[in-house]
Amino acid sequence: MPDPRPGRTILSAAARASRWQAGLAGLLALVGFVVVLQVRRVWQVRRTLQIPPTELEQLALTLRDQERRRANLEAEIAALRARLQDYEKAAAEGRTAAARLTRTLQDLRARAGVTPVEGPGVVVELDDNPRPPRPGEDPNKTILHYSDLYAVVADLWAAGADAVAVNGERVVSSTGINCVGTTILCNAKRLAPPYVVTAIGDPDVLLAALRRPAGAVEMLVAFGFPVRIAKHARLAVPGYRGIFRFEHVRVPQ
Amino acid sequence: MWLPLLGLIVGIVLGFLVSVEIPLGYVKYTAIAILAAIDTVLGGLRAQLEDRFDLPIFLSGFVVNAGFAALLTAIGDLLGLDIYLGAVIAFSIRIFDNIGFIRRDVLAAYLRIGRSEARRG
Repeated sequence: MPDPRPGRTILSAAARASRWQAGLAGLLALVGFVVVLQVRRVWQVRRTLQIPPTELEQLALTLRDQERRRANLEAEIAALRARLQDYEKAAAEGRTAAARLTRTLQDLRARAGVTPVEGPGVVVELDDNPRPPRPGEDPNKTILHYSDLYAVVADLWAAGADAVAVNGERVVSSTGINCVGTTILCNAKRLAPPYVVTAIGDPDVLLAALRRPAGAVEMLVAFGFPVRIAKHARLAVPGYRGIFRFEHVRVPQ
Repeated sequence: MWLPLLGLIVGIVLGFLVSVEIPLGYVKYTAIAILAAIDTVLGGLRAQLEDRFDLPIFLSGFVVNAGFAALLTAIGDLLGLDIYLGAVIAFSIRIFDNIGFIRRDVLAAYLRIGRSEARRG
């Protein structure tokens, strides 16, 4: 384009008018073109999105924000799923471990004598000698002593009894049988005759052990004490109801 | 006098015929460009009425104004600040100024009052 300023003086008025009109026409064509495009675009946005286009930017920001949050949430879901899987695996392992521990615990409690147990066995009934003491005779000789009772229980243990109870008192590791005056104590509980010793184990083996020569039962029978032994296919022995006191014991690590 | 009108009509028709879609991200820029173009058109009209129209100044004014407005808009986008509003306001003020001058010029020409008086505003 030639420099118009020196030409301005040379060009005729008509030429200048046409140049003006051409320039204006060109620009107006551009304006019209762009305005129509813009309006069409805005209408399209308004028609398809049902929102004024001035809110587009805000919406875009919101969308981006939401997409980021969505991505974060999805990552969180994945992480939580992984953790859940871990937990489930651990829980499954824990369940088996816990079940094993529970079985072990029940087994140990049964062995310790805390739980009631049942099974085949024998019942031994002991009593004082019904014969009245002869004049001048020591009345102790007609009374069943704690040592007699303890001897019977020991015979039963020796014969392999699994559980033993005396008058409903379970004999456990801390059980002592002794006497205070005229009463026998078992698990610190006073026992009164007749004394019923219940033992779970092989009935025949227990019976044979009780009847062994020079056994506790034979001695008692020899001195005239009433002893009744009965085999039972099914006996119930209660659990130990007392406490185990462990005040000074330390388990070495 | 009919040539600018023809140009406008051609532009509008072309706008309807051409299936060009302005990308949504550039809607703001085209709006600024439209404002700059309207400002330039009115400025040119006023210059013509005052008999001092210069085509290079006219065209360069459009290009530079529109370009700078677009730059402001872009910077505003970068800064997260609606700087293009400044361009919008400046263009709007200029458009109203030019409309005012054009009104005076047309009135002056219509009422046969001397141009020197109208030019004083």
